[in-house]
Amino acid sequence: MSKIAKLRVGMASCGIASGAEPVMEMLKASSGGIPVVAVGCLGHCYAEPMVEAVLNDGSSVIYRNVKPDKADMDNILSLGENGRFTIPPERAGRELVKVLALAGRVNPIDFDDYVANGGYDGLRRALSMTPGEVVNEVLVSGLRGRGGGGFPTGRKWSFLAAKKTDRKILVCNADEGDPGAFMDRSLMESVPHQVLEGMLTAAYATGATDLVIYCRAEYPMAIDHLRTAISQISEHHLDVLNGRRVTIAIKEGAGAFVCGEETALIASLEGKRGTPRFRPPFPTDSGYRGFPTMINNVETFGNVPVIMREGGAKYAETGTAGSKGTKLFALAGDLKYPGLVEVPMGITLGEIVFEIGGAERGCVKAVQTGGPSGGCIPAELFDTPVDYDSLKQLGAIMGSGGMIVVGNDRCMVETARYFLDFTHRESCGKCTFCRVGTTRMYETLCRIVDGRGRPEDIDFLTDIAPKIKAGALCGLGQTAPNPVLATLRFFRNEYEEHINRHLCRAMQCNSMVDMSIDPDVCVKCGLCRRNCPVQAIGPDFVIDPAACTRCNSCLDACPKKAIRRIARKEN
Amino acid sequence: MGIEFKLDGRTVTAEPGETILEVAKRNGIEIPTLCRDEKVSRTTSCFVCVVRDRGTGRYLPSCSSCPTQGQDVDASGEEVRDMRRTALNLLLSEHTGDCEAPCTMACPAHADVEEYVKAGCDGDFAGALEIIKRRIPLPMSVGRVCPRFCEKQCRRNIYGKPVAINEFKRLAADMCYDSYMETLPPLSGKRVAVVGAGPAGLSAAYYLRLHGAEPVVFDAMDEAGGMLRYGIPEYRLPKSGVLDREIAHFRRMGIRFEFGMKLGENLDFGKLGKDFDATVLALGCWGGSGMRCPGEDLATVGIEFLRNVVQSDCKAPNPGRTIVVGGGNTAMDCARTAIRLGAPSVTCVYRRSETEMPAEKQEVAEAREEGVEFSFLVAPVGLSERDGHLVLACRRMQLGEPDASGRRKPVEIAESDFELEADTVIAAIGQRTMAPAGIPVDRRGGIAVESGAKVMERVYAAGDCVGGPATVVEGIASGHEAADEIARDILGVDIDPVKPICVSRGEWQHLSKDDIVFARTETSDADRETLDTLPAELRKRSFAETTRTMTARQLAAEGKRCIGCSCSDKHECKLRKHASLYGCDPDAISGEKPEAGCDDRHPVIIRDRGKCLKCGICVKTCSEVVNRNLLGFKKRGFSTFIGTAFGERLPDSCSECGACVEACPTGALAWKKESGK
Repeated sequence: MSKIAKLRVGMASCGIASGAEPVMEMLKASSGGIPVVAVGCLGHCYAEPMVEAVLNDGSSVIYRNVKPDKADMDNILSLGENGRFTIPPERAGRELVKVLALAGRVNPIDFDDYVANGGYDGLRRALSMTPGEVVNEVLVSGLRGRGGGGFPTGRKWSFLAAKKTDRKILVCNADEGDPGAFMDRSLMESVPHQVLEGMLTAAYATGATDLVIYCRAEYPMAIDHLRTAISQISEHHLDVLNGRRVTIAIKEGAGAFVCGEETALIASLEGKRGTPRFRPPFPTDSGYRGFPTMINNVETFGNVPVIMREGGAKYAETGTAGSKGTKLFALAGDLKYPGLVEVPMGITLGEIVFEIGGAERGCVKAVQTGGPSGGCIPAELFDTPVDYDSLKQLGAIMGSGGMIVVGNDRCMVETARYFLDFTHRESCGKCTFCRVGTTRMYETLCRIVDGRGRPEDIDFLTDIAPKIKAGALCGLGQTAPNPVLATLRFFRNEYEEHINRHLCRAMQCNSMVDMSIDPDVCVKCGLCRRNCPVQAIGPDFVIDPAACTRCNSCLDACPKKAIRRIARKEN
Repeated sequence: MGIEFKLDGRTVTAEPGETILEVAKRNGIEIPTLCRDEKVSRTTSCFVCVVRDRGTGRYLPSCSSCPTQGQDVDASGEEVRDMRRTALNLLLSEHTGDCEAPCTMACPAHADVEEYVKAGCDGDFAGALEIIKRRIPLPMSVGRVCPRFCEKQCRRNIYGKPVAINEFKRLAADMCYDSYMETLPPLSGKRVAVVGAGPAGLSAAYYLRLHGAEPVVFDAMDEAGGMLRYGIPEYRLPKSGVLDREIAHFRRMGIRFEFGMKLGENLDFGKLGKDFDATVLALGCWGGSGMRCPGEDLATVGIEFLRNVVQSDCKAPNPGRTIVVGGGNTAMDCARTAIRLGAPSVTCVYRRSETEMPAEKQEVAEAREEGVEFSFLVAPVGLSERDGHLVLACRRMQLGEPDASGRRKPVEIAESDFELEADTVIAAIGQRTMAPAGIPVDRRGGIAVESGAKVMERVYAAGDCVGGPATVVEGIASGHEAADEIARDILGVDIDPVKPICVSRGEWQHLSKDDIVFARTETSDADRETLDTLPAELRKRSFAETTRTMTARQLAAEGKRCIGCSCSDKHECKLRKHASLYGCDPDAISGEKPEAGCDDRHPVIIRDRGKCLKCGICVKTCSEVVNRNLLGFKKRGFSTFIGTAFGERLPDSCSECGACVEACPTGALAWKKESGK
């Protein structure tokens, strides 16, 4: 008799992308009757596909990077020592898993599994209170909007609750669009019921009648799981609140980043072109089709069951004076352990980057928080606590939780250009400062990384960026200059070097770099020549800079690391 | 209940729901806006209407922001103006169009070419003359001798030859000059001395009179005209038939001339200052430059040669075998005049090649037809007398690197010297100002100006004596500027100081046929009419005018060839108006333009994407006012444009509505211009 009670396979999008599906199939075929369950994401991207063997005594053993072959199956089923996963020691203890407690532990589309693990306890507690008491509980918790804005959630709820209309709209903003951010997707895929529980709690507290999840269409699994969860809610009559049945609908977004902005989101819901409008009126006064409308982010709703379960006061014990609770971050970039993490507010950037993320000290130049709307914070300031106000002071933002670690071998001007490329493309085109201003900033940055920068370009960026912040209609435009302003503030020397000396110290900008083979190290194996797509390497193993496209194929192919990117010599 | 708040420091009251823009308007504070149209719902897109909340420091779009009790709003401060200027500059940076037509932009006098061509095309030559004279008070002369800056920039050049613009001036003046009279304002009592009766002086006097001053024109010669009379030969500008008629008009306007008065000799600069409220120096460039080689005194100075011919009534003696040194228009004038005086041979010696010649191509071609020979890449190195002849020692040259003017610099070829023999050698190399003592001059000998045309308190300068020898039309423009400055500084005339900005698609040389917007209902694709020119054989023997004025029928055909490049909305465009008021510069912010392109499929409405501000007023007008929904936004971000469903053309029925055209703040939606009758 096996000691294994059941096997969990991480089958969120990230798991599937890493090959979890064949692992699951094979595990099912070879488990000999042990139940194999698809669960969500544990947050350790680098270790996918992951299989967790839950033992009869309740403990478990996790296997990482599982391959769909017999050896791995046998290893797991015999609880072998190979490929056992443990949370990296430096990471353990730094995280505080509350919102994600059930992610990767329960079957996302199994209502009973969720309930068995404490699901809907929060809603049940809420329903035992008056709506006003629930709003107050959220106020006491100090929860602030997790979508990036940081507006106190309880206050928002109180605005909607105060509206005396028959029809009120509650929207869950699941249009997660920041490059590199996947907190919301993970939450919806792994524990859709938790998000819905938060929404139902909010609907009870505010008297909302129509619940809508505005989810980007690029998240098919999240939508699928939410649909299933919604029908389960209906079966269990959990959608009957305040004596009437609320409706819950999913609206799939069509891929416009700006539709994450609440007024653009409402326009999109109404079937109009997704462009923002001036506020006031705020949506809680006049939103979807003129009805009072409240929009909260997925993660915000994900926090609500936690608050309702443990109480607002208890919740508020975690975090800093202005920022309570925990925050999810999608860690990416130049680090060892990319993935989804949940940390208490107030943890320092350094702890996240070096300890949780495992980035090598001395090799990190900066971290970009808040995605394309945020800013780069240099490594010297990594003792900054992560909370809404400290990050804002540095010209960055908390944002929705994307966190990109920038290594020393990355160019900060190019980094700014990369983010502006995104924001200027995603501008809806409505207001002057965003439509034209971000494009002009992007063009200027392109010119600089392309070696055609002019001394006045820095003055132009310095002048225009704050004006775009001040003059753009919505959050997209108002934050789009942040990567430029932050890099200009902390890495101005790199801009000056690009413009005045045609030097990219990170050796990243192709226009300022040549490829060079060190003859003392080169063993003339010929791999570089074979891999060069443009035949730029001669039989003498010298690279012709005129033919070379700086594609790095040779550098990647060289077994001796004899090839380097070096500063281009000025003609 | 009213909401009290501060607007530019003044306490004002707003009705509930009233926006800051509306309150400002009610209180006489002008806030510019492009995207707000009261007939349709708010858009809040242009952000040109921003104001600043002094309390929070935040900028707010005043078209959509309602004031709050006790708010302190800055609607006119420099920070606010800077934000507006930036918004306008950003909009200009994506704007593709031509505020003014390229011909007008190219004209030094900035004449409204398209307008007078249209009037002439319709047969209204009196109307055409009136438009021309707003900028060019010497249309008879300019209509004959102008090097046609306008035609060189005419967009028709892409399709072949330019519209014969200059001929419109010539015919309009020839037909209507004698009956035409300006409406003259009463004299203000201010008197201005104009020294020099050449193009610049005449132009200054003309516009001074139109500004209400009384000009008195002094000239050292016996008759008015300056270089028009004494420099330009009879065959290009007949003196009695044309120039005298032109000058007579100035007398009819009551402008007084005093001849034989030479500054520094019998005309005292200091006394002018006492007798007049202001002085305009339009002295011209009457000093000929020498050849800067030994024996240069043996050469005849070009402009002196031309003047002698005029003063002898074209009966000057035959100069014999003639060498003209120089490659400019004066050199051509000298060469062609020498031919007419019977010279058996005329050779033009120029140190660069034909490509670098500053003379008009037409002049060179006609000179050649008349028998003038050219010797390029030859420089004079000495002039001497031998056996009763002149011997010009020459050296061959080759072209080196481009110099400051962009022309390739001639470099001597060693041991390439040779000699040319002649009876007369004319040096037509250059001219310079001969300013009398007491007048400040710059490095090159021209009169030094402080700024604009001002030399010192109450003294102004215009024409060739400032910047060196130039064309008649440039002299006219310069005289006009001086008159305007005097009007502003001394006469107290309120001349609009705001210079309208001009967005331009650029020179036709950099455009393709696809870039050309045909803004008229119809444009003729006929070839250019030919100017009736005397055959060379006849020209050589007489000083008669070489060309005949085009006929009205010919000009009607020419007028129909005009594309109508200027923006239909140039006088109403809000972007242009506000950008001009805010001191914007279309080139302040550079970058890619969004895809332009024009839809001219509708019979009377033209949609020009390049001029669109994306304010959406047309979209809303069509849906909210007209109830048709024919227009909508397409694409996103920088590529956003307004289009029709499936790119269909607008239906014919739009001709009767045109609400969108009327509402468009720029020329992005416009009525097509009428083509010529």
